[in-house]
Amino acid sequence: MSKRVAIKICVGTSCFVQGGADLLLYNEFINPEILDKCDIEGISCINACKNYKGKEGAPFVMINEVVYGDMTPEKLSKLVTEVYYARNK
Amino acid sequence: MNDVFIDIDYCQIYKYGQKIGGDVFLQKRNPERNQIVAVLSDGLGSGVKANVLASLTANMAKKLSFSPMDLKHSAKIIMDTLPVCKERKISYSTFSIADIRYNNLNSDISVNFLEYDNPKALYFKNDKSEYWNGEKIILDRKKAFKEEEILHNQFSLKEGDRLIIFSDGVTQSGLGTSSPLGWRLQGVNKFVEKVLNQDSFISSRDLTKKIVHKALNLDGLASKDDITCCCIYVRKPRRTLIVTGPPFLKESDEVMCDKVKAFQGKKIISGGTTAQIVSRILRKKIEVNLSSWSKDVPPFSTMDTMDLVTEGMLTLTKVVNVLENKTAIYELNNDAVKKYIELILDSDQVHFLVGTKINEAHQDPSIPLEIGIRRTLIERLRKALEDNYLKETSIEYI
Repeated sequence: MSKRVAIKICVGTSCFVQGGADLLLYNEFINPEILDKCDIEGISCINACKNYKGKEGAPFVMINEVVYGDMTPEKLSKLVTEVYYARNK
Repeated sequence: MNDVFIDIDYCQIYKYGQKIGGDVFLQKRNPERNQIVAVLSDGLGSGVKANVLASLTANMAKKLSFSPMDLKHSAKIIMDTLPVCKERKISYSTFSIADIRYNNLNSDISVNFLEYDNPKALYFKNDKSEYWNGEKIILDRKKAFKEEEILHNQFSLKEGDRLIIFSDGVTQSGLGTSSPLGWRLQGVNKFVEKVLNQDSFISSRDLTKKIVHKALNLDGLASKDDITCCCIYVRKPRRTLIVTGPPFLKESDEVMCDKVKAFQGKKIISGGTTAQIVSRILRKKIEVNLSSWSKDVPPFSTMDTMDLVTEGMLTLTKVVNVLENKTAIYELNNDAVKKYIELILDSDQVHFLVGTKINEAHQDPSIPLEIGIRRTLIERLRKALEDNYLKETSIEYI
């Protein structure tokens, strides 16, 4: 059985106004076959805007407990596909 | 805040085909003087002419009730001022004035009630109808075209009491169609008794809506007159707590959660970080509802024992704008803001528990300007609730 991908999209104020709103329309940009293998949920705040050590900023998304910043729909779609295939080689 | 609330609301349907009502209902609260005045007036005829007569009457009655003038003298002034109808050569409009005064809501609420030619108001103690007989005052006015008799009554209202006032559009509904003499006072009385037996805590808004819609049904869904009903109901207040913002000191997190836990009433958490604090301390899971999408506000979440969990500043800003502009609920999208508005408009008292910690993430220059300072926003929200919706509010900073 294939391993599923856990995605948490931050819906905190900072993330939402800097592009997070578009990420919530994931049905429209993630490949439906991959989407079927993902567990997507919202999270009220990842707290990455205060604690994240990397250079990226909001919006943040957590994929399998790893935080990614500067997220866009295209980037998320690509990243999810990569993570899925990496886990299910 | 008081443990008793005076719930006053009304429902109205215009005469079929009219775009303006000949019945006018007005209410005004003056919290500084502990006084509430509710007036219902029915102008002669229907449409614009009736509306002018009724508006004049209701406004004068409202203004004069706040003055120290004797009610009998006020009634004379009102009637002398009304314009004379060109066809019928008379000036006429009915009125009911309820002048409610209290020192302390929990002990004594006295009503000075004046009625002129409206159907006799119904007085209910819990769900039982009470007979009341007023003192008759003859006005003895020179310009009068008929004997003018005013019914005056003074009584006190206790918790669970209701005073239901209506225009003749209610009692005469169904006249000549569904019943030969119309619904009549006894019919309305029986109907209210039945409704109260089913739901003895029904709000004024719902009760008046039921009465008016029943009258409309009796009229065959085409009202033959303006149908207006208003209800004054003394009851326990419905309370809502709004928690927003993390406390200034981390040590106060538990104090905040204790307050949330102890609160009796509905609970709204406004803010992602605040929700996380409550979730951590009370050990409740937050689940973000991704089924509704809005470009303006983040989705709402659910948490056990909480009625609503939302994001903070964006949602609050939208809520304040809606309340300040008095936007109707049906015009709103089905998102967190609508849920928020529905919850607070359904309560009588709103208590705010505001955390004073500044969110570092909101200091980013790329964030829109409209994300203001939480305290300013809450003050605007309180003002809108008090001025536009007559709610009682209180605030506590933590």
